[in-house]
Amino acid sequence: MEFFLFILRRFLRLLLTIFIISTIIFFVIRVIPGDPALVVAGIDALDEDIQAIRVRLGTDVPVSVQYGRWLADIVRFDFGESMISGASVNKLIMERFPLTLALAILGIVLGIVVAIPLGVLSAVHRWSFWDYFGMVYSQMGMAIPSFWLGMILLLVFAVKIPLFPLFGSDSLKNLILPAIALGFARAAVILRLTRAAMVEELSREYIITARAKGLTDRMIRYKHALRNAMIAVVTVTGIQFGYMLGGAIIVEQVFSLPGLGRLFLYAIYQRDFPLIQGGVVFIAVIFSLVNFAVDILYSLLNPKIRIS
Amino acid sequence: MRKTAKYGTVLFILVLVILMGMISGCAKKEVKPLNFALSGNPDTLDPQKTSGTLTFQTVKSIYDTLAEPDENGVIVPALAESWDVSADSLTWTFHLKKGVKFHNGDAFTSADVKATVERMLAEETGSPHNKEFGIISSMDTPDELTIVFKLSSPQASFLASMASGWSAILPKSLIGNGHDFDSLPVGTGPFKLEEWVRDSKVVLTKNDDYWMKGLPKLDKIILNIIPEASIQVQGLIAGQIDIVFIIDSDDIPMLDSSPDVRLEENLTSLIMVMPMNTSVAPLDDLRVRQAINYAIDKQKILDIAYGGGEPIGTFMDRGNAYYKDFTDLYPYNPEKAKQLLKEAGVGDDVELKLYLPQNYALHVKAGEMYQEMLTQVGLNVKIQLIDWSTWISDVYRASKFDLTVIGHTGKLDPNGTLRGYGEGKYVQWMNADAASLIKEAAVTSKYEDRKALYDQALEIMAKEVPFVYLGSSYRTTGLRTDVSGFRITPNLDTFDFRWSEFK
Repeated sequence: MEFFLFILRRFLRLLLTIFIISTIIFFVIRVIPGDPALVVAGIDALDEDIQAIRVRLGTDVPVSVQYGRWLADIVRFDFGESMISGASVNKLIMERFPLTLALAILGIVLGIVVAIPLGVLSAVHRWSFWDYFGMVYSQMGMAIPSFWLGMILLLVFAVKIPLFPLFGSDSLKNLILPAIALGFARAAVILRLTRAAMVEELSREYIITARAKGLTDRMIRYKHALRNAMIAVVTVTGIQFGYMLGGAIIVEQVFSLPGLGRLFLYAIYQRDFPLIQGGVVFIAVIFSLVNFAVDILYSLLNPKIRIS
Repeated sequence: MRKTAKYGTVLFILVLVILMGMISGCAKKEVKPLNFALSGNPDTLDPQKTSGTLTFQTVKSIYDTLAEPDENGVIVPALAESWDVSADSLTWTFHLKKGVKFHNGDAFTSADVKATVERMLAEETGSPHNKEFGIISSMDTPDELTIVFKLSSPQASFLASMASGWSAILPKSLIGNGHDFDSLPVGTGPFKLEEWVRDSKVVLTKNDDYWMKGLPKLDKIILNIIPEASIQVQGLIAGQIDIVFIIDSDDIPMLDSSPDVRLEENLTSLIMVMPMNTSVAPLDDLRVRQAINYAIDKQKILDIAYGGGEPIGTFMDRGNAYYKDFTDLYPYNPEKAKQLLKEAGVGDDVELKLYLPQNYALHVKAGEMYQEMLTQVGLNVKIQLIDWSTWISDVYRASKFDLTVIGHTGKLDPNGTLRGYGEGKYVQWMNADAASLIKEAAVTSKYEDRKALYDQALEIMAKEVPFVYLGSSYRTTGLRTDVSGFRITPNLDTFDFRWSEFK
């Protein structure tokens, strides 16, 4: 029952968030310079033609009317049609989402696989080789832009040693290099956090108690300390995952991948209002779902944190 | 617990096997497709609903027009075998080719032409080219292979309109049932659309029933959408790409040393300019605009920013039949520029804003050079980068700028290039003589008479300099050495793969 109420409250909050975000974005994109009808018309069109295009796109009516129409549509989960391509926004997003999701999952998995063991090693054997290695890596990971890393990966592993394709999106092979480019920096963040959280946990009093009890180092480190440290790590990983969906834009551009990032980037360039709006709402929902999943994970990691 | 672990193992192995399968892929022996690097995703594949170059470059292979420009830019028959014009230039009769078929099997007739133009003129299509066809007062189809257009006023550019990408002929049967032309184009062209994965690739396959005998030669074309120029170039060197349309000048030395790549240099039909807003001080002063023209080393900017080109002295592309040379009027002369600025009383206390469209790296590079050269003669120029949508709405439509940098694309008919100048088009330059000459030329059909009118108009524009006329740039196209017969349609810059083949 308590859990059900929690879900319900979460859901209502999500709806409110979406409403606020979509309202803000609706007006912001109409205030900034740029007009989708002019993008469609190009620079040689005559004024009469531009007006006809505005009628087709529905931007000829006052903004308040447009806002009313948009609200009436989204309660039916209809995000309208792209002003530039004429395709349904739902369809465009759903065509792209699997690729970006796969990329983000691969990226975060690569990140976790590298970061958590390395972070734990660094914390347990402080000032050892692994700790220095981890420190150097996390500095580099945060400093190297994913754009540059992506280019280098392509030059080395697709041009010099042609193990991976240069472009295309037909197979999983196309996702490996972009996932590395994407996960590299994320791993650096997770690594730092894992190390800090572990160091903190290992210096707590219950560790001394556990040691006094005669537990093995192994038990203390991995059963007690790591488990508690994971709470902070899970939070950050969740947030990082959200960022990956956004960070995918640059990587998708470098690797010519047809993902959500490029879809939304060009939507903004071209002032494709319905697609921008649909995209923002979609990303907001995904962020909320990830946060929700993080909350659930908390309670699994530490039953003391009650869902309430 | 143990049981789930077991299932977990099974699942893990299963996933692994699937992934391995995906990685190794199934390498089927197939016809060799031509891999082309397309720099962006076409907005739509409906030729009537956009002005986007990428759309016309893509649909050129899928659709045909009644007439088309040949390799030299001369308009020749395509879907129409011939045409007659009445003495008053108001009645155009097109005689259509027999036996042409659409990709869906429909026979091509005059009814398709009529339905296509009607769709173009329909309010709900909202076509950017609606007004261009608004001069058509009636259409008659006396028989299946004849269509007669009656115009409300003479229009010298009518044939050019019919030869442009947006006049592609659509099948009547599909127009009637609300077919999704945005993503599923059906035409009479040399290739059929097999697949369009947005932002990834457009796959075209040969139309075996194409009306030109023995063409097209290729079985399959893949237009790979690759936004990064450096990846296009690497793909070309590695052989994964057969043609890159535009090679950046920085990449030319690297490609020159590749034995498998051939470079072709063509003069584009672009009119590269730095427009000046003649309605704001001090640019409303002719002396200041002249000074700015003297201050610019045009060949240097062409060479460094645009990878070479030929200078123009007026608002017409260098290779155009209507081009007239005025490059001697304002040669590079910084001393004269300083003197004129002194006379006009303009120093560095006046800030000029130079708006650059940030998505066009070449214009940004050129803009930085303009700024540098103008600073040399004592002007105070500040650069502001803006995105393309803002450029169109603020700079082009609302004339909110002092200076900007742009390249105007060529047109099949000079009226498309010059229409509107002299009467306030974005540079806000007002000149009644030029405006009336341009208007008169638009309804004059004989080449010599038109040329005389345009010569005068171009001379006024050259002298009054609402722009810095830089030149028409070269375009370097990179091709694998085994590819031949790739053509670029003059003035329209569309890709013509009909004669392309592997040697």
